[in-house]
Amino acid sequence: MLEKPNKLRVALISGVVIGAVSGIPGISLINCCCCAGVWLGGLMAMYLYKQQFTEGMAPMESSDALILGLMSGVVGAFVATLTSVFILLVFGPVEAEFVKSVFEKFVERLAESGSVPSDLADQLKDQLDQSIRDSARISGIFGNLFITLIVFPIFAILGALLGYAIFRPKTPPQTTQAQ
Amino acid sequence: MSDSKKVYSAFLVLVATWCAGIILAPLLEPSEPRISSLLYSFYAPICHQIDGRSLHIDGAKLAVCARCSGIYFSFLISLLLYPVVHRLASPAIPNRRWLSIALLPMAVDVFLNVTGIHPSSILTRTFTGICFGAVLPFYLLPPLLEAVTQLQTRLHLRGGLLYARKAQ
Repeated sequence: MLEKPNKLRVALISGVVIGAVSGIPGISLINCCCCAGVWLGGLMAMYLYKQQFTEGMAPMESSDALILGLMSGVVGAFVATLTSVFILLVFGPVEAEFVKSVFEKFVERLAESGSVPSDLADQLKDQLDQSIRDSARISGIFGNLFITLIVFPIFAILGALLGYAIFRPKTPPQTTQAQ
Repeated sequence: MSDSKKVYSAFLVLVATWCAGIILAPLLEPSEPRISSLLYSFYAPICHQIDGRSLHIDGAKLAVCARCSGIYFSFLISLLLYPVVHRLASPAIPNRRWLSIALLPMAVDVFLNVTGIHPSSILTRTFTGICFGAVLPFYLLPPLLEAVTQLQTRLHLRGGLLYARKAQ
């Protein structure tokens, strides 16, 4: 039986996606919904991993999902931190101001259409200001890295396990139940 | 205690600790403001924590919004009830259409709110979160238990091989 595909490549790809989604201001707001960006990253890792399987290979197992989710989450945490630091160093406040202005226009439009109450729109703007201020501090960067190193692997594992539940092979591999 | 029960118990403790943090943040605000602030910071990357969209205890918001609270607490309750309705050792995962059905109310609520057709309320956010969170353990726990068993088997095999090599 052929060996299973290498996990590292898939973990790096999905980790970069998790990091990019979580590190770029504005897009990172997707994580405000229960870390949806990280969940989706873990799910994507399992999809990509499944695509690499060919006939004659050992079937995909749930332990692959656990390991892949863990690896993607750790890579994602580092990439997210590096991305936000890179954006801050290269673009500085210009990029932050640009994202802020785009975001404020979007929120104002939502407030005008009645989707978001005006007081909530103000709270959202304050929240973005706060996150921009935090990302500019060294303690903020390391604090964020520490938290993401705990949270991202957890949610990426959950995403990958959910991915396994969705993309799993029709007949699950036989496992020895150690009692 | 079987391995499945041990893994289940550890996972339950992890989820219960996660949910306890969400409640402790507002409860500790008057007496331990620093710990409370740390807890709010911990949950900040995963939730917007907007006051108007959160549930409150004694006037202080929970560490995550109403929808997230619905997801996490229904996940915890569902996880507690899991051994009653599903055999722990069984690797069976429900059909994925139930997951789509559970996700549908949340998707509809978000869609109606974003398009301005019908604004979502605390009640709809919490309820749709509960619908989604309640089904998740049935998709996550079987592969998790199976994965830990597989890893343990691999470690035992590796340990046995090392022992055999040393014995030679």
